[in-house]
Amino acid sequence: MTAAPWTVADRDPSPWETGPVAAYGARDGTLTLYNDYASGRAILWPGPAAGRASELVALWNRRGNAGRLRPVGPSEPVEGYGVFTFPYGPISMGVPESGRFDVRTYGERILEITPTAGFKDRGILAALVGRSVPDATLAIERVAGHLSAAHVSAFLAACESAEGRDVPTTELWVRALAQELQRIYNHVHVIARIAEAASQNVGLAQTHALAEEVLRLQAALFGHRWMFGGLVDGAALRKLGPRERDAAAATLRRLADQFEELWTLFLDSRTFVDRIQATCVVDRETALRWGAVGPTLRASGVPWDDRLRQAVPPYTDLYLELPKESDGDALSRVVVRAEEVRASFLLLEQLLSRWKGEIGGREPAAPPAAPGRGLARVEAPSGDLVYDVTVRDGTIRHVGMRTPSHANWPAFAVGLKGGVFTDFHFAYESFGFSFAETDG
Amino acid sequence: MDLLGGVLTAATVGFFAAAGTGAAHRTAGYAVALAASVLLFVASVGALAFGGAHGIAWVGPLGETESLALDGLSAFFTLAASIVWIATSAYSIYYDDQSSSLLSVFYGLTLGAIALLIACTSWVYFLVGWETMTLASYGMILQARGPSGRVFDAAFVFLAFGEASTLFVLVAVAGLRFASGSFLEAAVSSGGILPSVVFACALVGFGLKMGVAPFHMSEWLPIAHSSAPSNASAVLSSTLTLAGVYGLFRVLSVLSGPPIWWGAVTLGIGAVSVLLGALFASVSEHTKGLPAYSTIENNGLVLVALGIALIARADGLTDLMVFALFAAFYQALAHALAKTAVFLAAGYVEHSAHTFDLNSIRGRVKGSDPAGFAGTVAAVLSLAAAPPLAGFVSEWMILEALFQSYRFTPQATQFIGLVAGAAVALAAGLILVAMVKFLGFTLLWKPAPGDTARPTRGLGVPIAFVGAVVLGIGVGAPWVLRFVAPSVGAFLGTPVAAPVGGLLSVPNGWSILSGSPFGILSPPVIPLALAAGGAVAFGYYALGRRAGSRRVPTWMAGSPEGRPGETYSSFGYSTGIRIMMDSVLWTREIRTRSGDVTTAGIASPAVYNVELEVLDVFKLFYDRLVRFGDAVAFGLKRAVMPGRLGQYLVYVLFATLFVVIYVAAA
Repeated sequence: MTAAPWTVADRDPSPWETGPVAAYGARDGTLTLYNDYASGRAILWPGPAAGRASELVALWNRRGNAGRLRPVGPSEPVEGYGVFTFPYGPISMGVPESGRFDVRTYGERILEITPTAGFKDRGILAALVGRSVPDATLAIERVAGHLSAAHVSAFLAACESAEGRDVPTTELWVRALAQELQRIYNHVHVIARIAEAASQNVGLAQTHALAEEVLRLQAALFGHRWMFGGLVDGAALRKLGPRERDAAAATLRRLADQFEELWTLFLDSRTFVDRIQATCVVDRETALRWGAVGPTLRASGVPWDDRLRQAVPPYTDLYLELPKESDGDALSRVVVRAEEVRASFLLLEQLLSRWKGEIGGREPAAPPAAPGRGLARVEAPSGDLVYDVTVRDGTIRHVGMRTPSHANWPAFAVGLKGGVFTDFHFAYESFGFSFAETDG
Repeated sequence: MDLLGGVLTAATVGFFAAAGTGAAHRTAGYAVALAASVLLFVASVGALAFGGAHGIAWVGPLGETESLALDGLSAFFTLAASIVWIATSAYSIYYDDQSSSLLSVFYGLTLGAIALLIACTSWVYFLVGWETMTLASYGMILQARGPSGRVFDAAFVFLAFGEASTLFVLVAVAGLRFASGSFLEAAVSSGGILPSVVFACALVGFGLKMGVAPFHMSEWLPIAHSSAPSNASAVLSSTLTLAGVYGLFRVLSVLSGPPIWWGAVTLGIGAVSVLLGALFASVSEHTKGLPAYSTIENNGLVLVALGIALIARADGLTDLMVFALFAAFYQALAHALAKTAVFLAAGYVEHSAHTFDLNSIRGRVKGSDPAGFAGTVAAVLSLAAAPPLAGFVSEWMILEALFQSYRFTPQATQFIGLVAGAAVALAAGLILVAMVKFLGFTLLWKPAPGDTARPTRGLGVPIAFVGAVVLGIGVGAPWVLRFVAPSVGAFLGTPVAAPVGGLLSVPNGWSILSGSPFGILSPPVIPLALAAGGAVAFGYYALGRRAGSRRVPTWMAGSPEGRPGETYSSFGYSTGIRIMMDSVLWTREIRTRSGDVTTAGIASPAVYNVELEVLDVFKLFYDRLVRFGDAVAFGLKRAVMPGRLGQYLVYVLFATLFVVIYVAAA
């Protein structure tokens, strides 16, 4: 059994006195996971969240029956002469998913924005109860297809922890490979979306082409463009030999070069940079207050990454650079993402070069958070993703999750206040939100 | 006295009679005013057609023969005013349902005073009319509904500016008397500094009434802050300012050989007014404040055209001078008419929606009266300078005149013309925002269900009448220009020909020519072309298969339609301008915390009240001025009336001594 990825607190950490922020709180209030940003440790508290953390936990856990709409951001009602609500969505040009934004405005300026989710609520988590773990994995992949690797990795790790199963090391390497590929895809996709909003059409086409190449590589390695079924037993990758791995490494080197060139061009474009600079600023205090995670948090000057803070193999053995910006605007978030693309290319290079033949050995699972209950977190492309799974007799009893989208909605809603309508898309895309994973 | 003069005299007396009748019976007063307006219209048209009208004459206190008479210049202004008053009087019969009949009395008095000051041939009666007009208008504003303190303040602002205006006009008239030795409105040919003093005083005095910068507060504040009755607002904004225009024209017509700086100053003031008026109109949320600001813009346009004419006159560019004068006259006419309809429409809206606030009308006006609706659309579009309406023709003429400012000899005036041209063009865009906002948020808004109140037809018909006239003088502009040529001739003292002609296949006389050759516009051809296009479209529709219509709810991005509070506000429509022009508008956001709320489970620290305010910087100046005046007056009071008996006794003693010595010495 590996060392626990958290310190179990013997009293309520009262996080808001010392500065940490809530990371996950179970709906039934039986446990809360905190990040202590001061010490870089995670703290597990077997009890309900307290203080301001409880507000966030309540916000994240707002989940009704399938299809029930709920605001996912904080609300500070604004009234005034000529102030009205500008409804945007759920079906709109700019946001590809179904979600509504209620903008309070007196025209042009965003006084308050309330994202509303629930239009895509498929009730996946509730439907998992009573199914076996491999069966459930296939559903988890489909929470959000472009984030499947992160979701499956976190879900499987939570199940393994709950059941106390040790894992073949190869499995962990495969998960890391999948996650890093998908991180590159998602970050490149975010850059493409912003290029689209800024009418950078050549850059947009190039970026989409790059993202498509990553998808094709995923298809070649995992047998599916979104890697569905790629992380369960007997998946395609196990059959890949050294030659296929070398080919993948060569492709990745080429893509890395392409990305470098492209990113340089983007940074040279005033049109691109001007539209995201000083747009939707989430300063350090706001990010911590509202529990932001991932590139959003790192762009606000807080260096937390689950791959480093709660590392599991193979991340324990690989070099990973942790990009950080401190302006907190959309530009900073995009720069962090671009740096992470570089870091992921480097990680993949290390991973593939050390991967000689079959990787032997097994890794022990993390200790359960409670008997039969596993808690796992991975660094998804947009940030910290937490799964909380209760398994009894090989059957899922309960699944809870806190996705990076959950955690970043409030920061987005607070940061966009005072912006203008045209800031919306640049702000929205820079967070890399997914309504699908918010709804589940 | 000739026949037309008799009609003129009857009309003028009729207005005062209307005031008297109004005291006894409100509606009867308006009816008499309507009859007098029709008489005035007949007299004006006759005077323009037959070269003048000579009414009652009498020998004044100084032994001069004074009379009520119309020459080309005054006939033009009585013509415009009489059309306005026909509409407002008919409208008032249905509109005025206040408890007191004072409004009717002051209404008649105002009309009579304006008729008198335009029609009399003596500066003395001009001043009498001017002052009566100011006081009677003050009385009309006091009849506004609303918080009495606010109404009183607004009326007081009007009175203060009005009296300042009278003061300057008085000085100008004194100057004219000094120069000519007579109170008659006759040409003055005196050199030296005196004409310039007269001009400056007239520009300030009449500018105060026209509401041009920097005195524009006199225009918007009384109307917007008091929410003055709509018939009063129409008279104030259309004909009261028209009286100012007339006064300025009359003074300029008796002064000969203007130096070039007169024109430059007039042009500059005009350009600033145009821009400020349009800018503030576009961000105004008051159904009467918005047209009041538009008045500032339109009177600014009159000054711009007049400024070009004055510069051209000093520069020897006769063609341009005549063209610019025609533009000035046409602008004054187009504005007076269109603005009347818009104010009447504001009253029409108020009648139905019970508010002056554009934001809260939201479909509470029923478009049940097609006549009033069409008239309002014509008037509003005319103010937005949409072809082929009157406002478009005058705006085109003014811009054409401005384009020719390159012909000025002094480079400074060329530069002013250039900047003024840019300002006028920018204002044309801004005023479009204002007018679209006015129309869109009052009459074009989808009616809210369940509201059954309908405006009476009596309110719609006068609006339709004015709208038709606006359309008529827009389409028939070349003929109207020829008809008012005597007015420009009277202003200049020499007969002039209207700048009309023909070109290409347009028949001779159907086009307006702005130079020889410069620009050309044929207003009658526009509706013909539109009709031809319409005929094609209609033929296509009539010959083709009849298309079935399908009614669907408005697409609201997948949300249920029209939830309350989810419609664009009129304020929101122009916030872009508030933010873009914040350096001129002094836009600031005031955010106050209006209380804590807790919604289930979510952190909701506070409810905020947010107001985005704009500020007329000139108002700040006048506020400071008032505070300064108060302080001085209070200090003076403390100094000379300290309430000590001994000091009073000493004062009385010295005063008595002084009088005794003075009398003894005399």
